[in-house]
Amino acid sequence: MIVSEQAPYIQVENLVYQYPDGTVALHGIDLAIHHGDFIALIGQNGSGKTTLSKCLNGLFKPTQGRVVVDSLDTRTTSITQMAKRVGYVFQNPDHQLFNSNVWDEIAYGPRNIQLPEEEVKARVEEAIRVVGLEERYLEQHPFFLTKGLRQRVAIGSILALRPKVIIVDEPTTGQDIKQSLEIMDFLANLHRERGHIIIVITHDMPIVARYAKRTVVLGMGEILADGPTREVFAQPDVLAKTFVEPPQITQLAQVCVDLGFDPGTMTVEEMIVRFRELVS
Amino acid sequence: MALVHFENYIWKYTQTEVPALKGINLEIEEGTFVGIIGPNGAGKTTLAYSINGLIPNQYYGVRKGHVYVMGKETEDYRPDELTKIVGIVFSDPESQFTAMTVEDEVVFGMENIGLSVDEIQERLEWVVPLTKISPLMDKPPYEVSGGQKARVALASVLAMTPQILVLDEPTSMLDPISRKQVFDVLAQLKQEQHSTIIVIEHSLENLIPLADRMVLLYEGEVALVDDTEPFFEQMDFLLKRDVFPPGAIRFFYELLKGGYYQGELPLTLDEAAARLRTLMESRRR
Amino acid sequence: MNKTLLGYVPEESPIYDVHPFVRVFFLFVVSLFPMIIAAPEWNALLVVLVIILMRYSRINLATLKFYVPVAVSMGSLILFSYTVFAGNHPEFIELVRFLGIRIYYERIVEATVVYFRIVPMIFITVYFLSSSRERDIIVAMRSVRIPFAITYLVAMALRAAGMVLQDFSIVRQAEKARGFDPAGKSIAYKLRQFVMYIIPLFALALRRADEFSNALVARGYSFTGLLRNPKRADYVLTHYHFRTHDLVIIIVLAVMLVALLVLRYGFGLLTLEGSLTEALLRSILL
Repeated sequence: MIVSEQAPYIQVENLVYQYPDGTVALHGIDLAIHHGDFIALIGQNGSGKTTLSKCLNGLFKPTQGRVVVDSLDTRTTSITQMAKRVGYVFQNPDHQLFNSNVWDEIAYGPRNIQLPEEEVKARVEEAIRVVGLEERYLEQHPFFLTKGLRQRVAIGSILALRPKVIIVDEPTTGQDIKQSLEIMDFLANLHRERGHIIIVITHDMPIVARYAKRTVVLGMGEILADGPTREVFAQPDVLAKTFVEPPQITQLAQVCVDLGFDPGTMTVEEMIVRFRELVS
Repeated sequence: MALVHFENYIWKYTQTEVPALKGINLEIEEGTFVGIIGPNGAGKTTLAYSINGLIPNQYYGVRKGHVYVMGKETEDYRPDELTKIVGIVFSDPESQFTAMTVEDEVVFGMENIGLSVDEIQERLEWVVPLTKISPLMDKPPYEVSGGQKARVALASVLAMTPQILVLDEPTSMLDPISRKQVFDVLAQLKQEQHSTIIVIEHSLENLIPLADRMVLLYEGEVALVDDTEPFFEQMDFLLKRDVFPPGAIRFFYELLKGGYYQGELPLTLDEAAARLRTLMESRRR
Repeated sequence: MNKTLLGYVPEESPIYDVHPFVRVFFLFVVSLFPMIIAAPEWNALLVVLVIILMRYSRINLATLKFYVPVAVSMGSLILFSYTVFAGNHPEFIELVRFLGIRIYYERIVEATVVYFRIVPMIFITVYFLSSSRERDIIVAMRSVRIPFAITYLVAMALRAAGMVLQDFSIVRQAEKARGFDPAGKSIAYKLRQFVMYIIPLFALALRRADEFSNALVARGYSFTGLLRNPKRADYVLTHYHFRTHDLVIIIVLAVMLVALLVLRYGFGLLTLEGSLTEALLRSILL
């Protein structure tokens, strides 16, 4: 667990969120997000994951309670100020590609926050470098790029705003293994090398096991578990409340706990090591 | 009899330089449940569309070799004939929901193939409970979740009683519960109807327990095809081709390699747990 | 309440026993009434009757509050354009001069008449939208044997509209997530940025179009096949039957329409001259 000396970057206090049609999506969430966090946000559809994450960047304002980001209350802070601190990458890149070429697309964010054009140029070039977009793509229309490239353009556009926190909504859904690992390695790199706080909303449990240090489990608008991923996975009954299952290898270990396996096993390698210990 | 037979089949889309499928030789027997896996871009969707005639009827490209469905070349079928034989379910639940209520959606296909009101009624009575969509019948699309839409799509296609059912990544956009629900329907179909089902999937955990045969498509070619258990014994080969089997199977493969275990690889979690237990107990004695 | 594309409909309502075709018929025929009736007080009465009908149909009147801003702004617009922009006639009575613009009595009266013609039409449309689901429109068309190709086109348009609305809200959020803040900016700015919506909405629609048309083909829908095979089992229609009360309502509405026409053009009633409203305005303004 990351024990940070600094105050949390985002503090969520007793957050309640109610949709206009009356449904209450969040029933009093308390959450602290620290510098250095790499969090997986998991839970069934309708548990409030997306709602919670949209409260974190001010897209949704709390019905009750408050969300404080970098000492700013989301209820009273402008969208522009929030976008500079918390970036949100939507699941479908098509929802967030607004321009007819990649360069302008990445420049869209910095221009919206009224940066001078030289600064915009610097930021765009930096973002392009970080996401690894080749020169030949810059003049192209985002629509014609492959899904992987579009995803990178979308992330690049968020990076150009230099937010501390990056929330990514289901980056691996619909991707094959190689693509999933690529995008997650990229996010891990952003976390490690550039100090971003990463929050990933996902259903992909093996990915959670491999990349997320901390896992927050949401069920019916409440936090059911919050802690190091290993500890969270070791509580299958809690996970079951929100219809989540740990990765298959973890489940195997849990079913065979009586044989001596660790219920928090996260990888095949760990399982093999324990097996060898047990049979020798 | 091989219901579907690919013979040196090559397909190149007009707008690409490299053929999507570079010489496919594959036979699919009646009544089998076949899983087709492989990385994105390997040609799985192209293969699926080639079975039900979407390729070449809806797409432009160059076709070589043969695709036989029930002994006849797909090119030689009238488009509506082939639709009745091969049903296909696509991956995006949203864009394949074309009507304004669930009932309209399920009935649409049946009306198109010219069934009478009584026949439609009969088929609804079978297909609706199977896919568990009874409470949804009057609902418009925006009140139906992604997973429910996937089952509606499945129901709409099943209602046309095709002989061959093709599913192109039916659950890739769904959450785990919805995924299981779709596979439960497929399991029931397999058990009750012994249908010929071809599923393209990334979610191996759900696919493997049901599949009789597995096909690995890699860069436009059939890289491996076999019955499910021997297929996964080629684990190193699969891993090199970016296939990531579920943890339990990989674990047992490691045991196999290390000489700790002899026998067939377990294909489900329960099998794996049982065999692990037996293995450890025998070791302790 | 159940949500539809354009509003809310009640869970249960006596109106659901009425065949969808009759409801569509009601919409079109009763919308003609205010065109025939000129006297504002009678049109106001029509509005009251529609509201009573809404209550009877268990429509939640609270949802009407969404339409209040529409009514108010529209009323102001009408008043404004008639009084300021419409020309004048030498015999008009000038009431007041405001910033160099002459406001005439006759124009105000005219504006009132027009306003009270439009308000019932709005209410009737709202009534229809608050008591019918999209499917009802399709059923109404199919029950009078409009060709399937046309009804299906309408159905697809409705479906597409639904998807666009869903996408629209996400696109708005995505814009905000990129720092786009329309609050407190000029209308010109907002309009320019509005073009930004079009690109993602188009992209999404185009990407879906491919799979959408594949799905149609996979369901056996082929454009040529339709013309060859006109006998479609309209399964959904089997849920709806024309009953006595449907026929009665149609006849009553038709009779009312004819009666109004006779009263207006035969007997010269329901006009502005001699109406209560006219007398009222005369006494207030002159």
